[in-house]
Amino acid sequence: MLSNNPTSHAGGRTLPEGQALLSVRNLKKVYHTDAGDIEAVRNLTFDLGRGELVCLVGPSGSGKTTLLKCIAGLLGSTSGEVLLDGQKVTGPPKKMAVVFQEYGRSLFPWLRVAENVELPLKNAGVPKEERKRLVAEALEAVGLAHVPKSYPWQLSGGMQQRVAIARAVAYQPEVLLMDEPFAAVDAQTRADLEDLIRSVWKKLGVTVLFVTHDIDESIYLGERVIILSSSPTIVQEDIVIDLPAERDQLETRSLPRFTELRHHVYAEIQKAKQGHRPEGAITMVAK
Amino acid sequence: MKTLKSIGYLLGLPVILLAWWWLATSGEPNFFVPTPSRLVTTFVETWFGERMLTDVLPSIMRLVFGVLAAIVLGIALGLAVGLNRTLRAVTEPVFEFFRALPPPVLVPVLMLLVGINDGMKIAVIISGCIWPVLLNTIEGVRSIDPVQNETSRSYGITGFARIRYQILPSATPTIMAGVRQALSIGLILMVISEMFASSSGLGFTIVQFQRSFAVPEMWSGIVVLGLIGVALSFIFQWVQRRVLRWYHGLKEVENAV
Repeated sequence: MLSNNPTSHAGGRTLPEGQALLSVRNLKKVYHTDAGDIEAVRNLTFDLGRGELVCLVGPSGSGKTTLLKCIAGLLGSTSGEVLLDGQKVTGPPKKMAVVFQEYGRSLFPWLRVAENVELPLKNAGVPKEERKRLVAEALEAVGLAHVPKSYPWQLSGGMQQRVAIARAVAYQPEVLLMDEPFAAVDAQTRADLEDLIRSVWKKLGVTVLFVTHDIDESIYLGERVIILSSSPTIVQEDIVIDLPAERDQLETRSLPRFTELRHHVYAEIQKAKQGHRPEGAITMVAK
Repeated sequence: MKTLKSIGYLLGLPVILLAWWWLATSGEPNFFVPTPSRLVTTFVETWFGERMLTDVLPSIMRLVFGVLAAIVLGIALGLAVGLNRTLRAVTEPVFEFFRALPPPVLVPVLMLLVGINDGMKIAVIISGCIWPVLLNTIEGVRSIDPVQNETSRSYGITGFARIRYQILPSATPTIMAGVRQALSIGLILMVISEMFASSSGLGFTIVQFQRSFAVPEMWSGIVVLGLIGVALSFIFQWVQRRVLRWYHGLKEVENAV
């Protein structure tokens, strides 16, 4: 039984200095509202190595979106810091791209598909020829090369999210942040999009941080899963997903190892909901 | 068949109205209401000649300059106010006050301040047309989707680029609704400003005709105003179809769901 336990850390895994691409250090976020302070994130520390695909999973209301916005530089933290390549993140960094859950509102409805993908590049001053190439490549990569002239709202939800992914990919980020990107699409489309993320990740070697509330999705997608506690949020556990690199919706999901990992993550989240805190994390808070 | 039908819809009511008018005036002549044929001949005689250059054209120029200036100023000011919370809090009550003022009362004041010239008339048109554009722009900028804002920020689209690529397009449907109101206000103010103090223009000429009991000529002037209004409306719709194609498509999709 013991050998079946995944390689795990209580609290987030950190890397030796200089090896991490993205570092989150003692991140804390408190919202000040008229009704009093709300502590969304208490104390988070973890590292992402270059080229990793990491899923963040946690119960709803566990501050996942808050954490992602802090990492993306869209929201300031109360204390602690986020480092990208050793540089402190104070605003949205050039090397990061975000894919939002609300694809319908994140894509600009007045721009056609190709124009949406092109806009960040145009704004960054990328020359026209290069832009054309990047847009074509990105649309090709997400399987939308045939609809560059459509408007986003003419497409299905899944295709719209593909456009948003293409826009992020064309921007050539080092880190791709995804905030529950498939929460609003149907199950069939979702499976396709999950495979799309794996293939894009492999092809481009980009570092991906994928936030989700879906346990199965986190295990299927990730090379590593960071489990968050319920609010106020800390890292409950940080586990390595030792599934084969080639993932398949049917094969992988029916592997005994998949089921074991699923059980493990599920149990951890249940513990988290009941207020259990890992010891490592508690000492960190005390410090 | 389909085009025939739409032409039928377009011309049906005007034909009925003309027929009614013709029947109503075919009996004993009424000094104040000319027959259709009399009006047509008067219309051609009165307006297809020197008056086109001395009265119609100057009026249209004032209208166009005034409305365009109001649109540009309204959008520029609206962007500034809409994007700045403090500025908005300070200016909004004042704007509501100025908007509530009927612009014709400004004509005598502007006559003194600007003088009796084209500038005064354009100023009157601007003073009335700017409000719907300004207030709608503020509203459009204020109601921008926060997810769109975060998208722009995360992709480094800030400052003027953000105004150009995100805020203006996103506020365009609301701004266009304001422009539409501004056009009809503009036409009214053009006539009124010319009635007060002028030596040319449609408003001036129509008042001249009234005072000299040139009744068919007066009616023909009113027809000219109507035609200008229709032309403006067509131009507006043409522009709107192009600028807001995405918006109408989006609404259609949303309504279909």
